[in-house]
Amino acid sequence: MKGVRLVSFLVGAIIIAACGSTTTSGGNTNTYAGKVIKLGAILSITGAGGVYGPQSRDGMNLAVKQINAGGGILGATITLTINDDASLKATAAQLTQTLIQGEQDLALLGPTLSNSAVGAHPLAESLKTPILAVSTTGIHIVPDCNWSAATQDTTPCKYVFRDSLGEETAIPDNIKSYAGDKHPATGVLLVAQDDKFSSDGGQIVQNTVGQYGINLLKVIKFNKAEPDLSPYVTQAVQAKPDVIFITSLGGIPAKIMTEARKQGWTGQFLGGNGFNTATVSAQAGADGLGARSASAWYLGNTFPSNAEFVSAYRSEYKDANGNPKDPDQFAAQGYAAINILADAAKRAGLTFTDLAGDRDKLRAAMEKVNIQTPLGPFQFTSTHDVKQTVWVIAMDGKGGFTLVHQIAGS
Amino acid sequence: MDFITQLLTDPIGFYNSHTLLIANIGINSILAASMFVVLYSGQLSLAAPGFMAIGAYTSVLMELYWRTPLALDIAAGTALASVVALLVGLSVLRLRGVFLAIATIGFIEALRLGVILNLPITGEGLGLQNPKADPLGGVNMVLVALVLVVFLLWRLTKGRLGHAWSAIRQDELAAMSQGIDVARYKMLAFILSAALAAFAGGLEAHLNFFVDPGDAQYGVTRAVQVLTFAVLGGSGNIFGPVVGALFLTTLPEILRFQGFNYRDIVSGVILIAVIIFRPQGIVGRGGLAIIRPRWWPRAQVSAPSPG
Amino acid sequence: MGQQLLNAIFFGSIYALFAVGYTLVFGILDILNLAHSAVFMFGAAITYSLVVNHGQSFWVACVLGVGACAVMGLVIEHVCLRPLRRRRAPPIAALISTIGLALIIVAAIEQGRPGTFFAWLWVDGANSVSFPPAAVPNPTWHVAGLTLEASRIAIIPISIVLMLVLGYVMRYTQVGRGLRAVAENPRAARLMGLNVDRMITLTLVISSALGGVAGILFGVSLGDISPYIGRDNVEVRGLAVIVLGGMGSIPGAVVGGYLLGLIELIALLARGSSARDGIAFAALFLMLVLRPQGLFGAQLREKV
Repeated sequence: MKGVRLVSFLVGAIIIAACGSTTTSGGNTNTYAGKVIKLGAILSITGAGGVYGPQSRDGMNLAVKQINAGGGILGATITLTINDDASLKATAAQLTQTLIQGEQDLALLGPTLSNSAVGAHPLAESLKTPILAVSTTGIHIVPDCNWSAATQDTTPCKYVFRDSLGEETAIPDNIKSYAGDKHPATGVLLVAQDDKFSSDGGQIVQNTVGQYGINLLKVIKFNKAEPDLSPYVTQAVQAKPDVIFITSLGGIPAKIMTEARKQGWTGQFLGGNGFNTATVSAQAGADGLGARSASAWYLGNTFPSNAEFVSAYRSEYKDANGNPKDPDQFAAQGYAAINILADAAKRAGLTFTDLAGDRDKLRAAMEKVNIQTPLGPFQFTSTHDVKQTVWVIAMDGKGGFTLVHQIAGS
Repeated sequence: MDFITQLLTDPIGFYNSHTLLIANIGINSILAASMFVVLYSGQLSLAAPGFMAIGAYTSVLMELYWRTPLALDIAAGTALASVVALLVGLSVLRLRGVFLAIATIGFIEALRLGVILNLPITGEGLGLQNPKADPLGGVNMVLVALVLVVFLLWRLTKGRLGHAWSAIRQDELAAMSQGIDVARYKMLAFILSAALAAFAGGLEAHLNFFVDPGDAQYGVTRAVQVLTFAVLGGSGNIFGPVVGALFLTTLPEILRFQGFNYRDIVSGVILIAVIIFRPQGIVGRGGLAIIRPRWWPRAQVSAPSPG
Repeated sequence: MGQQLLNAIFFGSIYALFAVGYTLVFGILDILNLAHSAVFMFGAAITYSLVVNHGQSFWVACVLGVGACAVMGLVIEHVCLRPLRRRRAPPIAALISTIGLALIIVAAIEQGRPGTFFAWLWVDGANSVSFPPAAVPNPTWHVAGLTLEASRIAIIPISIVLMLVLGYVMRYTQVGRGLRAVAENPRAARLMGLNVDRMITLTLVISSALGGVAGILFGVSLGDISPYIGRDNVEVRGLAVIVLGGMGSIPGAVVGGYLLGLIELIALLARGSSARDGIAFAALFLMLVLRPQGLFGAQLREKV
């Protein structure tokens, strides 16, 4: 009896091994058939960052829908959960833990704000889970997510990536292009000192203006939750600068612009990533006409996959009046992020039985991503960062943007 | 509801995958204990977040700049908070009721907005980053600390200190006329509460990779949250606030379904319902209003426990 | 500098109007109504929603908005306060139940998005919005180097008129006398035939309506309406004002409001933004330590 059992076992093992071997990455497009790739996104749907989060979400959901409709990733379906961190650092950190350990997600996306990333990214790194930022543009996001002024620690975080163009590139490009057009002589910087994104942006402005002959007359700091920014705007306007730099996000840029125009100032506003969404342009309205920023994406760009992305987005999403909605930079970055993860998952050889191993394989595969996205041809740099074309855009006073310059990535 | 099913069917797995939640429950419980001490002695002090901030910043700064061991850092934070509590207490402890509450709110906001946000070393508005944080290992520390704190306070309330506090809470003038040194006992309660809060703050900072001076961490919002733990749980004995903290920290997680956005509304409704139908709190005055096992020690003097 | 001073006066007026509602409830009921800041926000949000989403004219929307806040005062009384009074709950319970209601109000607005249950209230979720310039009449003049906007200037006369009216009612009308009787001694007032419950309801209604007006003025003049304007801007400052002025004293709340506006301005000019936020609390703390009854409050009685 034992002999029979042993033989059946061996025969069974051989059959299983034979089946197994036909599912290696040798051309079978259903290697992952029946499996689920779990992704979790931490986004600011409410709070100060709530101006940007929903667009990222919409872009991501569109990508997930398209991929699943097209047969998934080698047969596996993607599930994406959207989790709101209410623009709070502590909530982002808590969600990171829940998604990694509770939900057992393969990889995470987000959080929306650089300020929240400080809480989430080091945690994801210590729990060895890949996290792909889709809108954080501050400094020391990648690769040194554990950097702090006290420790000056530049150890790269292996699991942290971003597809959102950093302010270190965007702001200087914006300043350079404006300086080239109009040769301003003086500027004033308004910065929300208790927000990482704004504060980082302010630092970059201060480091850059000298090169283009702009004299920074004043650096005016305020706290982001202040209801009334008019004293600060008054200080700025009274210095009579050619340019006012606004590195804040959320509702603050529009407030500053409206107040400055009310006080009779007619100069140029230059901003950071905080400008790059239709909501902010609409809030600023006519007061924001001509305000410039550097964006990682432009509606009318001619990259191969962009037109298709825009039309799919327009048919999927409608605004409050039922008209098709245009995507924005955040939607494009979210959409690209899902495609990046999907491509990496395809090549990673996931086992779906060893989560820790799979996460590491995904990480390694992400480093080699090379695909077309609405942001252009996409590859991560050696520091898991982004190099791409920069679009200098200006608000058109009606809730949209016009293109001013296109600057190729270097 | 997968939260509950996992808890019931796979407790070990649940523990391992919800370590940060469990740690938060622990920390909130220690904060609730801090609140318990002042409420038990009749003081409506909302100063806990301020002392938390002192504990958190001190321990993180020491760890970053002097690289001292964690135990020393947290102890230093607790000690510093106690000293500050002494000074603050000297100024405000003669105030009563809502006035004390407002004075302590003044203290925590002045500390947060006036001091922390203006001292370059605290990182001002951006807070501090704490790369040496240990979110996974820290849980066990928190749970052990919680057990010790609860035990300590349980013993204290059964002893002379507890009786003095109870007397003061019920009628300060009568207690004074009975020879109880009201000022001293109130100060003791205040300092102990501050030490517990600072301890919780230091532990919390060790679990997160950052210390942030926001309102939700060390401001009025936090103070109100901690007050709610204690009042909802019932501040008649130490277990009430802990139960309150457990309930209110877990509630948002239980309600975290995909697409269900009304968690806060449900929390608010539950808060109102509990406080109206059971204003003495979940645990109430005489202990859990459930069947006590025979070996549970009976207090000799106790108010009839509300059913 | 002149512009800053004007701003200080505008803010002072809003703080004062808000604090009057706070102090009214405290003076009469000995309760801190922590739902007041939520009502402040609610007034602004409802008015905005009426104008932008329901196409009402600005003035009609204001009236309806204030009305909605008055109704909210009814809700506070019937849902948060009366059940506790009936059950003879300790005063701290009222604090918690008003906190709960504040949580509900803020969350309802925060979750208001197109297609959700609360869309008829508000559709902008957690975003910060402002009135479209076309909807609100807001002539602006430039005089002597200062920018004067009607929406900000109007705050001063509106607040002063409301506070004068309230003062008159409290002092010279029967209703006012009834309210003051309840403040002194509710039991005696009931024995004298006063319907204490009705007086309390009236207190909450007036207080909430005033809070709503303050919220609308804030929203219009600052161009900032979001679910968080109560919590971030006036909730704790209101406390500072009533402490400075004396809790329970209406003239105290008025003076305290302007005083706080001035103190904040000085702190801002002297040391910048962070000092401005912290100074209110430093002032509050000092006042409580040195003179707990505030500028106008009665000597704190020992409640024996």
